[in-house]
Amino acid sequence: MDPKPEVKVPVRLSTRDPSIQLAQEPGPLLVQTTLKRPQLSALVNSLLRPDDKAIPFDILINGQFLRTTIDEFLTNNGISAETTLDVEYTRALVPPLNVTSFEHDDWVSAVDVLSASSASGVWSGGNVQSRQERILSASYDGLVRVWDMSGNVLATSEAPNNGGRITSLKSAKWISDKKIVAAGMDNVVRMYKYDEDTRTITPSVELFSHRWGVEDVAVHGPSNRILSASADTTISVFSSNAKENPSPPTELLPSSNAASNKRQKLSKPDKTVSARGPLIKLSGHASPVSSVVFKPDDATVAYSASHDHSLKTWDLPTSTCVDTRSTGHSLLSLGALPKLNLLATGTSARHITLIDPRASATQISVMTLRGHKNAVVSLDVDPTSDYSLLSGSHDGTVQIWDVRSVRQSEVQGEGQVGESMYTIYRDSAKGRPSHSHGEDVKVFGVRWDKEVGIVSVGEDKKVQINRPVGS
Amino acid sequence: MAPNPRKRKAVTRDVPAASNSEEELADGLLDGILSHSEGESDADHEEDAESDTSSVIEGLSDEDEEDEEDGAAFSDTDPKDGEGDIREQMRKLTTRDATVRLSGVDHALDRDSRPLADGELDEQDDESLQRNYTVTTDANGNPRYLYREIDPVYESDDSDAPETTNTIGNIPLTYYDEYPHIGYDINGKKIQRPAKGEALDALLDQIDIPKGWTGLTDPATGKPLNLSEEELDVLKRLTRNEVVEDGYDPYPEMVHYFSGKLEVMPLSAAPEPKRRFVPSKHEAKRVMKIVKAIREGRIQPYKPPSEEEEEEERVYYDVWADEKPRPENSMHLAAPKLPPPGYDASYHPPREYLPDKNEEAAWLAADEEDREKDYLPKNYEALRKVPGYERFVKERFERSLDLYLAPRVRRNKLNIDPESLLPKLPNPEDLKPFPTTCAAIFRGQEGRVRSVSFDPQGIFVASGGDDGYVRIWELLTGRQVWNVKLSDEDAVDAVKWRPTKDASILAAAAGESVYLIVPYSILSPDVEQASRDILDAGWGYAASKPSTTTNGVTKEPPGKWARPGGKFESKGVLVQATVRSMVKIINWHRKGDYFATVSPRGQSSAVAIHTLSKHLTQLPFRRLKGIAQTAQFHPSKAIFFVATRNTIRSYDLAKQELVKILQPGAKWISSIDVHPGGDNIIVGTYDKRLLWHDLDLSTKPYKTLRFHQEAIRAVRFHQGGLPLFADASDDGSLQIFHGKVVGDLMENATIVPLKVLKGHKVKSRLGVMDVDWHPREPWCVSAGADGTCRLWN
Repeated sequence: MDPKPEVKVPVRLSTRDPSIQLAQEPGPLLVQTTLKRPQLSALVNSLLRPDDKAIPFDILINGQFLRTTIDEFLTNNGISAETTLDVEYTRALVPPLNVTSFEHDDWVSAVDVLSASSASGVWSGGNVQSRQERILSASYDGLVRVWDMSGNVLATSEAPNNGGRITSLKSAKWISDKKIVAAGMDNVVRMYKYDEDTRTITPSVELFSHRWGVEDVAVHGPSNRILSASADTTISVFSSNAKENPSPPTELLPSSNAASNKRQKLSKPDKTVSARGPLIKLSGHASPVSSVVFKPDDATVAYSASHDHSLKTWDLPTSTCVDTRSTGHSLLSLGALPKLNLLATGTSARHITLIDPRASATQISVMTLRGHKNAVVSLDVDPTSDYSLLSGSHDGTVQIWDVRSVRQSEVQGEGQVGESMYTIYRDSAKGRPSHSHGEDVKVFGVRWDKEVGIVSVGEDKKVQINRPVGS
Repeated sequence: MAPNPRKRKAVTRDVPAASNSEEELADGLLDGILSHSEGESDADHEEDAESDTSSVIEGLSDEDEEDEEDGAAFSDTDPKDGEGDIREQMRKLTTRDATVRLSGVDHALDRDSRPLADGELDEQDDESLQRNYTVTTDANGNPRYLYREIDPVYESDDSDAPETTNTIGNIPLTYYDEYPHIGYDINGKKIQRPAKGEALDALLDQIDIPKGWTGLTDPATGKPLNLSEEELDVLKRLTRNEVVEDGYDPYPEMVHYFSGKLEVMPLSAAPEPKRRFVPSKHEAKRVMKIVKAIREGRIQPYKPPSEEEEEEERVYYDVWADEKPRPENSMHLAAPKLPPPGYDASYHPPREYLPDKNEEAAWLAADEEDREKDYLPKNYEALRKVPGYERFVKERFERSLDLYLAPRVRRNKLNIDPESLLPKLPNPEDLKPFPTTCAAIFRGQEGRVRSVSFDPQGIFVASGGDDGYVRIWELLTGRQVWNVKLSDEDAVDAVKWRPTKDASILAAAAGESVYLIVPYSILSPDVEQASRDILDAGWGYAASKPSTTTNGVTKEPPGKWARPGGKFESKGVLVQATVRSMVKIINWHRKGDYFATVSPRGQSSAVAIHTLSKHLTQLPFRRLKGIAQTAQFHPSKAIFFVATRNTIRSYDLAKQELVKILQPGAKWISSIDVHPGGDNIIVGTYDKRLLWHDLDLSTKPYKTLRFHQEAIRAVRFHQGGLPLFADASDDGSLQIFHGKVVGDLMENATIVPLKVLKGHKVKSRLGVMDVDWHPREPWCVSAGADGTCRLWN
């Protein structure tokens, strides 16, 4: 081998982001193989807008992020330097920095964001202005709180009177800028009215359907549907219009048994909240259902993940289970990647499995993302990218994943394997080494909003907001 | 006048002595005398003999001659004297060869004097032969030769010749006994007899004998003969049988002919002899002879013998034709094969193999046994410069020692691959899933956590500990969702969920009471109602049927069922069943209607079975052999297992009879658990062992697993279909095993150790107190003495 000082390889630049599209196709360029990502990024910048402020780009070659020199990349992947490389550039993900933390009295179990670009904001019909983002947090003390971006509590709900039962909330969602739904271990799904002007949260309706705690709720504004996943292995469908719901099953009301009724009376309820039952009850799982989501583009289809290792596809109008995908581990969280038609589920076995829910898919697990040290209990997708995922785990970290940055796994049936791009540690961990058990810093919920950034909540009683620098 | 009588005496005595000596010295001496007297024909022989002896002896013998006459008096007068005795002996010795010596001396004198005289005479014949003497006429008219005084000129001096002391010639002194002189000198003048000491002098001499005094008179000079220092030394040596010669070293230093010293000169400087390079005529002769013989045909050139001849003549018998290769003798031991020498063993190794100074110093400083190699690489320019091996003898010695002290013995090596002896265990990776890491820590309890239990749904975990609290935790997050304090004094020793999903009832034991709890706070109203209904069903049953004996005497029931009181009931603790002694273990029957409690100190009431629906407590055993440790229901049959300290008994509850006694061989059983299939039992013991019993196989354990450093406190099978079991030990660790039981009776259970789970801290020698499995998932929860519970997944 004679050591040529300069080997050049032809590349063809492209991007999937129209905002950073090159004005004219430059054709194949010859670049040195010694270049790394920053040089290529500078090259793209110089082609794109020579005078403007440079945007950092990430470089993908054949679907993989370039982390070394081109030369090493070619060697590692066995690509000849003769072939023209398809180089895709995307806006680089800037490492998110911690912005702020909102302190709570108790563990925070769930968080949701109302902003102009969030789903609930969109469903509100443009009522949410920029800089008017609201953060909803559900806590183990049984209260939902609405925060503004400065960290002020705008409104706090009152503790419900449920006959002396535990009120810890497990999930809370904005339905619109006026409606909130929250559910927890007292088995009841509650809808609240939020009044921005008076800054009050008032319970509007209690939805009774579950015999055990509710683990997750999913909402779809346009179709007024609420899904609740419960530890009693069922999924209930409610309507966000209280009146559409039927009357509740009497045996589940707190007043149904004598002791409970007595306790409820003793706590002197001032006003009664109307109680309703479920539209449909979907049963099929064998174990607690941990998470449920609507199909992003079709509100008549829902996906649910359960401790019984299976992921089920439900057709809501017919209330039937369409498809069941069984994996090897208990599934604890669910998130949908709409463009890729993939579902991401976090498992108790410390990884994220990407599953193609379509009936035609042959492989159970398309991709496995490894890196967490404990159960992955919360998932969200990047609002700006179709390929990025956000996951929160009991090990006290929030990790960002890019499904393009993967390699083929050696293990049969596991599909591709990916590694996380960035890891966000809890601010309260103060740099302590993270343990697998994540004591005191477990992350229970994550949300990634375009305006607000990455919002995560957990055992440290904080809402932590991280945002990429400069965006 | 004095000498005369002495003399006469001596003469008279002399005769027999002479005859004696004559007899003794029959041939040699007389012969010698005779021969000598006859002539000088034997002089050569005499001289030879004499030359060996020293001149001292000569003198001595000379003296003897003289002493014959007057020395006899000595022997006469003082024969008993020791000295005299020696002298006598010496005299005898000397008499033997005195004459010989004398003749020798004479001859020597002749030899010495004659040539000189002859020489001079010869010379003077030439020059002045006549002047030597003058002839005169003496008184008788005879011519008398008057010799001139000899002028000792320079030439006449012969200092090499021995000094002659006898100047009287070869004449016996006895001739002059009558005269005052003893002879004449060369000039014919009388030589006076040397003055003899007076009697006083003789006495003095006798008293103060000078060294070397002999008491003899020198016959040649007439002076007293004293022995010199040297002569005394010689005598001393002779008496000691030593070599007389002075300076003789009997043990001289050995001189090696071939020493390591470099000799400058060759051994011989002789020139090459001619025969080495001149062709040998003798050989030529012989060759010519052979050539001639060949020419003449007397010697035939070699002709190969014909084959027939050979065959006929020689028949070889192959003795070893049937020999088969035999295996070597069983005692044969091949020497161990040593590795070939490396570069550093060379006499001229490459430089990199040579040790530097530090290494050399280190090698020298090290103990011989600690050295890595027993030699130090050294560099020599040439092989011939390599010195001898200095450790040769030492090494041989050590090798001999090795042979003697460490004889080689053949070790019978089993030709078995050790791998094949190990049981074929599957790789733990293939046996996934099993718990590997700590997923959550449940903190909040004070003191030890004694017991944990999963609820049948697998959502909650209940724990009870030394602080008297029963707590319920959310599984995955480790959130404490409910608690109640049962007792201020007693620890909660056992908590157990009722194993059915229709209701949610928790049994907890504190002190002598078992509390049945409905933690309504985490239950939905209908589940709460169902649970309450189950607990309330039994009220009044006990009251309506008071246990009375036939005599009508009310016997105290073994268990009292009561409501625990308002404070407890408001928390959901609905029933309290009190037995006679401290309850340590609670185990539910699978249907949830019965539960068994064990109170080890309770003797006859140690094991109690409680019926929930009737609020009834029964004591199944009237008298239990040994101290009950734990008891458990068979998962499917009406069989009840009771473990005492050493044995496990299984009883058929329906037939009321003993089914089987298991002998785990343990000193103290701590816990047992029955496999969900019902045919296998695992036993944990305080003597650190985990035993697996196959009920179908034997009463002895099928497998003994001893992996813990400390006592095992709890063992537990996974109840939800996964082939897993776990044990909890005081060494702070849990061990997870794969234990697969196959329905086929032909196949034994497979037991594979999977994982050691460490995390609990050991506090006052207590580690993990209890362990329980999730009803479905491969997750387990452990209770630690450090006040925490841990979830492992």
